[in-house]
Amino acid sequence: MAAAPGTRRAAVIQIALMAAVILFCVFPFYWMVTTSLKTQVLALESPPVWVFEPTLANYRSVLTEDGVGRTLVNSLIVAVSTTALAIALGLPAAYALARFEFRGKKDLWFWFITNRMISPIVLALPLFLIVRKLGMLDSKLTLILIYLTFNLPIVIWICTDQFRSIPVELDEAASLEGASHWRVFRSICLPLAMPGVAVSAIFAFIFSWNELMFALVLTRNAAKTAPAMAVSFMEGYNLPYGKIMATSTLIVIPVLIFALIASRHLVRGLTMGAVK
Amino acid sequence: MSIRARRRTILGFLSPAVLALALIGIAPLLYAFWTSLHFFNLTKLRHVEFIGLENYGTVLGDPVFWEAMGRTFTLLLIALPLQIALGLGIALILHRPGLGFLKTLTRLSLVLPMATTYAVVGLLGQVMFNLKYGVVNQLIGFLGIAPVNWIGDPLNAFAMIIFWDVWQWTPFVALVLLAGLATVPGEVEEAAQLETRNWWTVLRHVQLPFLIPGLVAVLILRTADTLKLFDMVFTLTRGGPGSATELISLMIQRVGFRAFDQGLASAQAIILLIITIILAQAYIRLFYKEV
Amino acid sequence: MRIGTTVCGLTLAAGLAAAGTGAVAWSLEEAAKPYAGTTVDVVFLLRPGYEAAEAMLPEFEEKTGIKVNIVKHPYENALGEQVRDFVAGGDFDIALIDLVWIGNFAENGWIVPIEKFTSNPDLADPELDLDDFFPLVLNAFGGWGDTIYGLPFDNYSGLLFYNECMLKDAGFDRPPETWQEVMDVYGPALTKDGKYAYALQSKRNETQSADSFARFLWPFGGSFLDENFRSNLLSPESQAGLNFRQELMKFMPEGIVSYDHAETVNALAQGDVAFITEWSAFYSTLKNPETSKIADCLKIAPEPKGPAGRKPALGGFSLAVASQADEKEQAAAWLFIQWVTSKENALEYLERGGVPARQSVYQMPGVAEKFDFVPALVESWQEGVPEFRPRFAEWPEITEIVQEWGTKMMLGEVSVEEGARIIGEQMEAVLEKAGYYSGKKPLIQ
Repeated sequence: MAAAPGTRRAAVIQIALMAAVILFCVFPFYWMVTTSLKTQVLALESPPVWVFEPTLANYRSVLTEDGVGRTLVNSLIVAVSTTALAIALGLPAAYALARFEFRGKKDLWFWFITNRMISPIVLALPLFLIVRKLGMLDSKLTLILIYLTFNLPIVIWICTDQFRSIPVELDEAASLEGASHWRVFRSICLPLAMPGVAVSAIFAFIFSWNELMFALVLTRNAAKTAPAMAVSFMEGYNLPYGKIMATSTLIVIPVLIFALIASRHLVRGLTMGAVK
Repeated sequence: MSIRARRRTILGFLSPAVLALALIGIAPLLYAFWTSLHFFNLTKLRHVEFIGLENYGTVLGDPVFWEAMGRTFTLLLIALPLQIALGLGIALILHRPGLGFLKTLTRLSLVLPMATTYAVVGLLGQVMFNLKYGVVNQLIGFLGIAPVNWIGDPLNAFAMIIFWDVWQWTPFVALVLLAGLATVPGEVEEAAQLETRNWWTVLRHVQLPFLIPGLVAVLILRTADTLKLFDMVFTLTRGGPGSATELISLMIQRVGFRAFDQGLASAQAIILLIITIILAQAYIRLFYKEV
Repeated sequence: MRIGTTVCGLTLAAGLAAAGTGAVAWSLEEAAKPYAGTTVDVVFLLRPGYEAAEAMLPEFEEKTGIKVNIVKHPYENALGEQVRDFVAGGDFDIALIDLVWIGNFAENGWIVPIEKFTSNPDLADPELDLDDFFPLVLNAFGGWGDTIYGLPFDNYSGLLFYNECMLKDAGFDRPPETWQEVMDVYGPALTKDGKYAYALQSKRNETQSADSFARFLWPFGGSFLDENFRSNLLSPESQAGLNFRQELMKFMPEGIVSYDHAETVNALAQGDVAFITEWSAFYSTLKNPETSKIADCLKIAPEPKGPAGRKPALGGFSLAVASQADEKEQAAAWLFIQWVTSKENALEYLERGGVPARQSVYQMPGVAEKFDFVPALVESWQEGVPEFRPRFAEWPEITEIVQEWGTKMMLGEVSVEEGARIIGEQMEAVLEKAGYYSGKKPLIQ
């Protein structure tokens, strides 16, 4: 069937718009990666050059001299652990909020969400002083636990909605057969809530991977994460754009891979309470 | 099940998360509240002194604090409608049938900005918006526009912050709204589309109700995140030039971490937190029927 | 008096103490023996002087068995990092002190006067020779009140770096000698074809107060404070200087308020401006063909004079032993500080890109020829003002005020007079709170 002229025009517009969106999203990345492949002199060329002989010197320098590699490993350990922990602790809570009626439920839900809203500025210094007292500065475990404060709320928020979208009849049927709440949660609801779990995991991972303020204040060497490292190149005395962009690229690539792998769940899991 | 057993089950499900948040989240908050009632300057810890609500009085009467707050809300009020309008547009395009491959590609591209480390966005902004070496001025030069002093001019710098905020968060809005559109029952939508060719009518009367929860979530998250916004602006402009891009969190950081007046900074932070909570409550009361 | 009050007294004491121990010559290896295996932690910046010291470090570690653990931070984070560490009783054994932090560190008791070590013959190098440091530098960077805490390590004076080729092309055979010349002659002649005569780092960072604001107070006879610690910013001299800065902006690149050191140095290095006033520390960056297009045209002179004389910008860092370190770490820290700032190592430090504060090294044959900034530097250190920026404990708060309103002034968001008035008021409020006006605190800056 030949498409009507109107539909074809609409399709052309649709394609053009999508191309624009792709360009808008991707271009800064393209620029980041190409700048990272330039020498220092080339990076400061005016006007900027588009065609040049790429060099990996910046990557060699940040990985060997500045130890960016180690900070990437730290970031990975912290982000994966805190994500796993947030899911493990958050899912049961989300299930309870979705399935049980109890007094103060609304307030509890709101308190969870509020934790996501607290500016890290509020907590950074008090945490520094407390963590210092506990002798836990510059430790990955400290970051993992602290990142729970913004990851748990996101897991609970997204997953509560997911659980609610699962027909309650399924639970009831299982309960009649004698399954405990725990079994119902684990064997029936959890598999069905996987899109929500995936999405909250993506967000928890992204938020943790990208976190800067706590990482800056609470780590020094051993537990320093990659974003804290990237910022430390910003000395006022020179502009190592190539190195900064190389570090940036190294930071962004792992989280991108993770996000892209998980992205097929994004749409199904991001309903944010739209499902009745 | 007995009431007691039921209660035990609920507790069992909830307590790990509640305990974790209470242990990690509440102590520093209480500590912050305590310091906010004191003259508590890190470089003058020998003179810590209880001063009651004086810090709060100072904050409430401090024009610099309210200017920073005003700037933060200006950013929110400009960036959020842009994000919602663009996000909705993108969601609607992606919601149309056909062109599967290109749509997948678009959806994947949308993930990029969202996943980018915020501090990196600021660094990238410095590189791309540089007056001399920046690619942005080169690109607008092709259109015949003279180079713009993005980072050194107050208004332009603010515009640049808006640009990056829109770049980073429009995709998030688009994906949330796309998820909302996916929940519209197919038959309802098709019936509506048979009745009218006007997409606006379909959107307004059929799709919108399904988008509301997502929009409220976006509203809450974007409001909270704008009030928290720090990394990107810090690495891009550090609040400058002058105070042109000094958002509330940068201002608090300056007072607490650079002038070391932690008592005052805590008071500022707690007032900020109260404002955030009031706003979030208001959104939820107004729009959110959940929970 | 408990603590040796003058530099001479200290050297004398150290000398006598050393003589008392008998004939065995002091050596670093011997002195360090009890401390082998000790680790000392110190903050370093990402600047040439620190790279130089880092490159020299293996020699020290080999000789002594002491491990120096360097934690690198950009300047703007370095104060916060150290303050938090000292407040919490942390790991740093050595304090890196910008001259404007010393009042703060000393008043809080975070650093140990050097007398503790110079009076200990086991630790004090007989060759320490404190008199060899430029007196202005030692007192300003390392001293507070009558006590010396730190030894000058990364030392700066403001210098005029200029592009001789650009000046020649415009018909000048010498750099500007006065600010008035810059305004009347050099500025108009050199600002053309997209190039500018001058760039003044003015970003809302320490650079706004240190390099931009203060640079136009002192040579014009102005200052931050009068003798009663009241604001002196509205005095005719201060106002003249600040107005001069405002007017001079027409010869500076657009967006100068977003220029930090990096952008400014780069503007000269790329040939976009004819001269800058920058710290001596940037010499190696500007002289290196890999980072500078104008390495061959680079020349250095003292900063231009104002109506009140030269009074060039003064800045720099000393290293001091942190009081939170235990006795072993303190001794090891002292040995490192003494070694890295020593007369003996000054030449190597200089050759690797650092700027030592030792007078003797600049008198060595060939040094002045090889490093063209030396004559200007030596001259500047004769005429500097120690309180170029007040060094008292309140500086961190005051600099934030100056940074905010100083940039707003330059952007034209407030008039020079209005901006100066606001800075003055807020500055006095800080000083009032600190107790300077009630007599609780002596008026030292």
